[in-house]
Amino acid sequence: MRLFENITLAFQNIKANPLRSFLILSGVAVGIGAVLHVVVLGELTQKRINERLEQLGSDVLRIRPGYSWRHGVRTEARAVSLKWAEAKALAQQSQAIARTVPVYSGSGDISFLDKNWSTQVTGTTPDYESVNNESLVEGRFFNPTELSQRARVCVLGATVYQKLFKNESPIGKTVMIKSKPFRVIGLLAAKGESWSNPDDQVFIPLTTAQERLFGVDHLSSILAQMQSAEDYDESLFDIETLLRQSHRLPPKAENDFRVHRQDFFLAAIQETNKELAQFIIVIALVSLVVGGIGIANVMLISVTERTREIGIRRAIGAKKHHILIQFLTESMILGLLGGILGVGGGVVFNHFYIGEETLLPLVWVSYSFIICAGIGVLAGIYPAIRAANRDVIDALRYE
Amino acid sequence: MDGHLNPLIQMKAVTKTYQTGGAAVQALSEINLQVQKNEYVAIMGPSGSGKSTLMNIIGCLDTPSTGHYFLGEKDVQSLSDNQLSEIRNQEIGFVFQSFNLLPRVSALKNVELPLTYLGIAQPERLRRAAEALDSVGLSDRKQHRPNALSGGQRQRIAIARALVTQPALILADEPTGNLDSKTGEEIMALIQKLHEQGNTVIIVTHEQYIAEQAARVIRLLDGQIESDVSTKARGNRPNH
Ligand SMILES: Nc1ncnc2c1ncn2[C@@H]1O[C@H](COP(=O)(O)OP(=O)(O)O)[C@@H](O)[C@H]1O
Ligand SMILES: [Mg+2]
Repeated sequence: MRLFENITLAFQNIKANPLRSFLILSGVAVGIGAVLHVVVLGELTQKRINERLEQLGSDVLRIRPGYSWRHGVRTEARAVSLKWAEAKALAQQSQAIARTVPVYSGSGDISFLDKNWSTQVTGTTPDYESVNNESLVEGRFFNPTELSQRARVCVLGATVYQKLFKNESPIGKTVMIKSKPFRVIGLLAAKGESWSNPDDQVFIPLTTAQERLFGVDHLSSILAQMQSAEDYDESLFDIETLLRQSHRLPPKAENDFRVHRQDFFLAAIQETNKELAQFIIVIALVSLVVGGIGIANVMLISVTERTREIGIRRAIGAKKHHILIQFLTESMILGLLGGILGVGGGVVFNHFYIGEETLLPLVWVSYSFIICAGIGVLAGIYPAIRAANRDVIDALRYE
Repeated sequence: MDGHLNPLIQMKAVTKTYQTGGAAVQALSEINLQVQKNEYVAIMGPSGSGKSTLMNIIGCLDTPSTGHYFLGEKDVQSLSDNQLSEIRNQEIGFVFQSFNLLPRVSALKNVELPLTYLGIAQPERLRRAAEALDSVGLSDRKQHRPNALSGGQRQRIAIARALVTQPALILADEPTGNLDSKTGEEIMALIQKLHEQGNTVIIVTHEQYIAEQAARVIRLLDGQIESDVSTKARGNRPNH
């Protein structure tokens, strides 16, 4: 009995019960689709994290305010303790720290003509451009003169540009930020979305942000670029010493600020991603097993329904292994169809959910088919053995 | 009297007992039987007398509970399941009362099936299956499914399927039982023709006229041979 005939036969029988077959396939399909989704998502996230790591550099620390402490008790309020002067002092006094960039971010509306967009307004210094590896599509970042003059100039992030402009150069145009006119002097290249969207920002001089827009004298964070990544311990020591002194923290008090190493932060995200992926894979495996049990069930029903057919085939010369292989082929094809459905569904789902970058990992697609066919075969073993071992006379008499 | 020839079928004290629930049903007891090559044998007897059981054993669909059954040289008890399949495939053509065709495949495919298990390649299979269908007068129904055909036509497909491997022995268990009498006569004429072409035929029937076609009539009663009569006058046995 040739493989081709078994395959044709299998399709005939699947076609004879289309709904039942489809319902059963979907179990396997969902499982394999989920696996594929996790794989694509995982690879994509990894790719983005790598890109971000390149952009950030592993030598940049971010200092954020922590909670205020009073008499050893944490107050709920966020500390508003970080100051520009501290940033300057850090750069001057620490041997390990090359440069510091003060940042103040607040939310605000930006509009151009009739278009309006709510975004993050970030005040900073000209060094931000090189410390954060920003690149400009057009125009320039603001300069020290504009910083000292509290100039109303701004540099647009890619998302902001898209929301306000249509394929036109924004340079020299006047936009309104928190109802005040600003001249656009630069447009940043897109960095791509990951866990947050760094492109949905507009950059202005720190002086302008603090004094003209938000009326504050503290910072949201300080970026500290180390001389090299190896200077981490020394940098941390210097930051703690200086800030604790400046904040007049008693020796036993907790820090009212936190220091993040950006690559550690990304590593943590990566770890979380891995755990999430493992979790989804476990769910996927469960649904594959359930799908397999479904196939086994359908095959058992099919074997019973076709008892007479088995009898006829055996009576005219089919050997046990012919029957065995016939049913195994059928269940393998059920599994494989589930795989095709799942991979197809996964591709469509990924396309809409993850978007244009969707890459189809061919290796995983072929693994998917092998896994599904394997599940089909495994699920078919018991029913197929039952079919092959039917007593010929009994099977022929079966109504 | 044919003792010097090797009989095609030889049964020695064959019994068959079925276990149903607690009770044992003795379907056949102490059957001794010889059938020579080219014989045309009719088996008769009331319902439940063991005719089908005997046919199933002859056809290697079932095996005796005790006793010995030789088909040609082979002691059937000593054969493996695979060897029995091969015998059913190559040496026996079985025609059933209820046709036993696969409902979802064409007449041609049904006839082709035994050749598939014989391992014959597709073009040859198709040719031989078509030939067998021609010989039963169904050349124009090759692509029809059995349930689109009449009872007589279905039984012709079944006969074509029985012929297609050119078996040594053709067994028919009440082949006209599900047919009206006119169609039954056509089927019997076909079987008669097969015998004339040199096939060994054993047929189970209730019809006296069918029995008269055969050269030998075996009557069963309660699982035993009640009578075994050769009507040589009809001259259907090989000359000797
Ligand atoms: N598979 C079976 N299980 C139990 N009893 C059976 C089976 N096949 C036949 N019998 C019994 O054996 C006896 C002979 O049956 P069968 O050979 O079919 O008779 P016939 O074909 O002459 O009508 C009957 O009593 C029948 O009930
Ligand atoms: Mg019967």
